[in-house]
Amino acid sequence: MLGQRLCFDEGAAVNDQVAAFVEQLVGMADLSTGQAYWLRLAADEITTNILQHGYRGGAGRVDLYGSVEADRVWLRIEDEAPEFDPRCHDPGPHLATAPAERPEGGHGLLLALTKLNDFDYDYTDGRNRNTLIMWRPSPLRRSAETENSHDVRDACAHRRRVR
Amino acid sequence: MSFSATMRLDDDVATIRLTGDLDARSAPEFNELVNEATGLQVNRMVLIMDELAYMSSAGLRCLVFAHQKMPPGRDLVLVGARPEVVETIKLTGFDRSVLIEQSTEA
Repeated sequence: MLGQRLCFDEGAAVNDQVAAFVEQLVGMADLSTGQAYWLRLAADEITTNILQHGYRGGAGRVDLYGSVEADRVWLRIEDEAPEFDPRCHDPGPHLATAPAERPEGGHGLLLALTKLNDFDYDYTDGRNRNTLIMWRPSPLRRSAETENSHDVRDACAHRRRVR
Repeated sequence: MSFSATMRLDDDVATIRLTGDLDARSAPEFNELVNEATGLQVNRMVLIMDELAYMSSAGLRCLVFAHQKMPPGRDLVLVGARPEVVETIKLTGFDRSVLIEQSTEA
């Protein structure tokens, strides 16, 4: 398993460090070019969101973990900002507005979650834990991926229903 | 990958070639060039994107910014973007506001 702690000063950009971590992880698997791209984008967007909104642009700490397993690659992003489940972000109102008239921002989490094969979130011991998952290519997996394709935000809707 | 943006002016058309990663860190550099182009009252802005390796939501905001800075009815044209960049644009519905062309070959 790979692990890396990133400590950011106020206003710092995270992009290069996250990209390097994802590249290292992808290099251990055989993800397609597209999968590697979307995994990087998701990690970039979620980490940027943590720094901008979770830590409100101030200093903060983000831990990245990742591993390549037989059927999947997972990347976990942990932080100590207030509890926030990205699946509960509703992009609907934002998308309903004409692009040129939208307020700044609002696309990052939509882009992050849409192209992942799966996403998991939990809040444990004061830490947000976002787990990004891409299936590794295989004929069986590709078939299952097609059948089970779903919007990861469904999990949030389900959680709301059962409360 | 580092980012660079270079602009060429032909009459009232600004052609900007983007290379590398357009993200939160590189966005200000691109926005500065957009400001320069729109300050020159161009009628058409063409973004050559075939060497753009990556674009995050911060990069997408740059495209929205460029579109907002252009006078109404003037074209913002995106040329040669890789499939993932085009899909990023489509996922947010911004493809309805710009012209997307596949190839840089005329």
